[in-house]
Amino acid sequence: GNGSNLVESQTDLCSDHWGLVCFYYVHLGELRHLGAFGNDKGGKLLFLNIPFSQIAEQNIFKRNAQFCGLVCLNLHFSPFAMSVSSWSRMFPDVYSVPLFLLTSVPLLLRAGYGHTVPLSDGGKAFCIIYSVIGIPFTLLFLTAVVQRVTIHVTRRPVLYFHIRWGFSKQVVAIVHAVLLGFVTVSCFFFIPAAVFSILEDDWNFLESFYFCFISLSTIGLGDYVPGEGYNQKFRELYKIGITCYLLLGLIAMLVVLETFCELHELKKFRKMFYVKKDKDEDRVHIIEHDQLSFSSIADQATGPKEDRRQDEPFVGPQSSAHPDGSALHDH
Amino acid sequence: MGALRPWARFPLLVVAHLLALGIGAAVFQALEGPPARQLQAKLRAELATFQAEYGACLPPGALEELLGTALAAQVHGVSSLGNGSEAGNWDLPSALLFTASLLTTTGYGYMAPLSAGGKAFCVVYAALGLPASLALLAALRRGLLPLLSRPGAWVAGQWQLAPARAALLQAAGWGLLVAATFVLLPALVLWGLQGDRSLLEAVYFCFGSLSTIGLGDLLPGRGRGLHPVLYHLGQLALLGYLLLGLLAMLLAVETFSELPQVRAMVKFFGSSGLLTAEDQGGILGQDELALSTLPPSAAAPEQAPTC
Repeated sequence: GNGSNLVESQTDLCSDHWGLVCFYYVHLGELRHLGAFGNDKGGKLLFLNIPFSQIAEQNIFKRNAQFCGLVCLNLHFSPFAMSVSSWSRMFPDVYSVPLFLLTSVPLLLRAGYGHTVPLSDGGKAFCIIYSVIGIPFTLLFLTAVVQRVTIHVTRRPVLYFHIRWGFSKQVVAIVHAVLLGFVTVSCFFFIPAAVFSILEDDWNFLESFYFCFISLSTIGLGDYVPGEGYNQKFRELYKIGITCYLLLGLIAMLVVLETFCELHELKKFRKMFYVKKDKDEDRVHIIEHDQLSFSSIADQATGPKEDRRQDEPFVGPQSSAHPDGSALHDH
Repeated sequence: MGALRPWARFPLLVVAHLLALGIGAAVFQALEGPPARQLQAKLRAELATFQAEYGACLPPGALEELLGTALAAQVHGVSSLGNGSEAGNWDLPSALLFTASLLTTTGYGYMAPLSAGGKAFCVVYAALGLPASLALLAALRRGLLPLLSRPGAWVAGQWQLAPARAALLQAAGWGLLVAATFVLLPALVLWGLQGDRSLLEAVYFCFGSLSTIGLGDLLPGRGRGLHPVLYHLGQLALLGYLLLGLLAMLLAVETFSELPQVRAMVKFFGSSGLLTAEDQGGILGQDELALSTLPPSAAAPEQAPTC
C-alpha cells in the first residue's frame, strides 16, 4: 500500500487487538520476501505490506513498540523458507535474559523446543558443551530433589496410614499412588492448561493441554511456545513463570514416576521380564556397596540400607538415586 | 566439600543449579546477540530492495495473502514450494519417525499434528507409550548391563586393578566408544553426504538427537528434492540411528552412574540426613513385605517402629 494507507494501518496496529507476526521468507536460499500478517478483531488473516524504508526513516518501529511486538523466525535449512528465532522486541535490547532462560531450561531438561535455536557456530558449540556438562548436573539436582520430595509426599503418608490406621501397606500404597497421580495431573496439566488458554490469544484448551503434556514429558515439539503473543504483557515475567512451571512440573512427574515404580505389584510385573541374573555378581555388588557405605562415617547411621541394590525387588527401599527403570535417564 | 553440613548441601545444589541456568543464559545471549542482529539488518536491507524493485507490479494484498498462507502452513511443516515428486509429509516413514521422536522424547518438531484429533491422540499415545518405553528400556538395560561389565572385569583380572579403578576405566571406555560410534561417526557420514553442512553442525545434530534434546533445526535431507526412495531410506536410517543410539547412550550413562564416585556424589547431596526413625520403619516395612513372601515358618512378626 502507499504511505498514507500504511500510516493508517499503523494506527490500526496501535489498537490492541492485533496478533502480529512477521515472517522473513527466503526463496532459493536468498532473502527475498518479507511478510507481516496478523489477525483483525474478527480473526480474519490480514497481511500488511510494510515499506521498510519508510518505517526505517520515521523510526516507527522504535516508537511503536506494539507494532514490533513479535518477529517470528524459524530456522529450517530448507530451500524455500528460512526463519531464525523469535524475539520479543526487535531493537537494542533484543535479547532478554528470560528469553534465553527459556532456551537453556528446555535444553537442560532436554525438552528442546527448537523454537529458538543457536545461529552461530560458537552458539552451537557452546550448546553442546553446556549440555554435556549441564545435563548430568541437572540429573544430579533432580535426583536430590525427587528423593526428598518422595520421602515427604509418598513414604511418610503411606507409613502413617499403614501404622495408624492399620490398612495393608499395599493397599495404602496403591491408593496413594492413584491419588497422587490425579492431583498431579490436575495441578500440572489441567490447571496450567486452563491458564494458558486464557493467557494465550489463540490457544484453546486442547492446544494448551497438548503444550503442557508435550513439554512436561520433555518431548518438546515446539509447535506451541507460550509467551510469543503480540500483546503479551509482562512478557519477561511470564517467561520466567513458564520456566518455573517447567522445572516444578518435571519434578512432579518424576515424583509420581518414582511413587509408581515403588509399588510392589509393579515390581512383580517387571520382574517377569527380567533376565535371570548371575547370583555371584549380585553378591559382589552388594559387598561393594556396603564397603562404600561404611567408608563414609556420616552415613553409618543409615547404613547399608540405602545402598542395597534396588533392582533386587525383595530387598530394601528403592533409592531414588538410582531408580529402576531408568526413570531419570529419559526424563 | 566433606566438611559441608548435610543441611547445607542441598541448598547449595539448588543455588548452583540456578546459577548454572543463569550463566548459560548469559553466555547464549552474548554468543547469539550479534549474529542475530546482523541477520536482522540483512533482512531489512533485502526487504527494502524487494520493495523498491517489485512493489509497483503486484496488486495490493495478493502477495501478502499468499505469503501469509504459505508461512502459516510452513510453521506446521507443510512446504508449499518444491517439486511435486517429493513425498507427502505424513507418509509411513515420516510418520514412523514422528512416533519414534515422541516415544524417545526427542521431539524434533519439524512435523507436528495439525488436527485436534491428532493432538489428542498424540497426548494419549505418548501418555501410554512413554511408560511402556521406559519399561522396555529397563528390561533391556538389565539384560545388557551384565554384558557390558564383562570387559571391565576381564581387564581388572588381567591387570590386577582395584575394582574401583576398573569400573572407572570401563565407564570411560564405554563412554568414548559410544561417543565415537554414535556421535562422531554418524556426524562424519552426514557431513560427507551433505556438502552444505559443516562438521560442527552435523555433530550438533547427532548430539541433539542422542541426548533427546532434539532441536530439529538441522534435519538431514529435508526438502532437498531427493528421489522419494532415497529420502525414505534416509528416514529409516535416521530412525534406526535414533533407536540404537539412544539405547547405547543409555547404557553408557548407566555404567557411569554405577561408578562409586558418582554414587558418592549422589549420596552427598542426598537426603541421608532426612532419614528418620519413621523412614527406617518404612524400610522395616518393606523387609516385612519381603519376608512375607517367604514360607510362613520363616516369617517375622510385624513390628511397629520405635521412635
